[in-house]
Amino acid sequence: MNENRCDLLRKVQAEDFAVYETVLYLDTHPFDRKAFEYYADHRNNVTRLRSEYSGRFGPLTIYDNTDPGAWNWVDTPFPWEKEAN
Amino acid sequence: MWIYDKKLQYPVKIKTPNANAAKVIVSQLGGADGELAASMRYLHQRYSVPYGEIVGTLTDIGTEELAHLEIIAAILYQLTKGLSVDEIKRAGYDTTFVDHTLGLYPASAAGVPFDMKYVGVKGDLIADLNEDLAAEQKARVTYDNILRLVDDPDVRDPIKYLRERELVHYQRFGDSLRIAQERLDAKNFYAFNPSFDRK
Repeated sequence: MNENRCDLLRKVQAEDFAVYETVLYLDTHPFDRKAFEYYADHRNNVTRLRSEYSGRFGPLTIYDNTDPGAWNWVDTPFPWEKEAN
Repeated sequence: MWIYDKKLQYPVKIKTPNANAAKVIVSQLGGADGELAASMRYLHQRYSVPYGEIVGTLTDIGTEELAHLEIIAAILYQLTKGLSVDEIKRAGYDTTFVDHTLGLYPASAAGVPFDMKYVGVKGDLIADLNEDLAAEQKARVTYDNILRLVDDPDVRDPIKYLRERELVHYQRFGDSLRIAQERLDAKNFYAFNPSFDRK
């Protein structure tokens, strides 16, 4: 995989992980302010990075088809392929 | 509903196929303590639960287990991709190959197909959460055993990640059990089942 794409994917994965980990914690600690702020910060990073990633390298979800003339959901490798990682 | 995210939760990039490793790791796909069992357990237990915090925990951990199922599948896929018939025979992978070729079939390392009998849905909050706590520990042990059997750092790295997630999930189910007990009769937690009895 293109080095830039791999680097950006790692950033998306890391920020997504930070959000998901905090979501699990917030489920049972909904009034923890510090955790909520951590969640909000990383959620903003996720939004920004996912939009950058899908704009440059193709969709992460079915809502990310950025090519106006074509369906590109199936063009990029599926995640179990080594080259997708 | 669920939305597919076209990426793994944690990267898998294995340089060297190895059918011997795939033969044992498959247990985390379709074995009793594997990721398919985990996701089915939590996603089916959640419906009768009366407390939002615990429904959320079961939903979100159950969803993460689906992501882990895909990580295990990616490991198995990359470990078996491009193997020759000779390599398949030498590794003893022929007993899987004969029925499934290189398709990924959820079964245990001993070849027992996945079974919902591995999954408990008792409809009683304390019983189900105790099952979940045990399930996370059993999955952790399976990962410990895989780490005893597999040397390749490309494989060990995502396996270590998955092992660590079991510990975090155990912690969250512990929080869930605490929340459940705080809302029950402190003198007798079993006085009524909050998933069934009306109080």
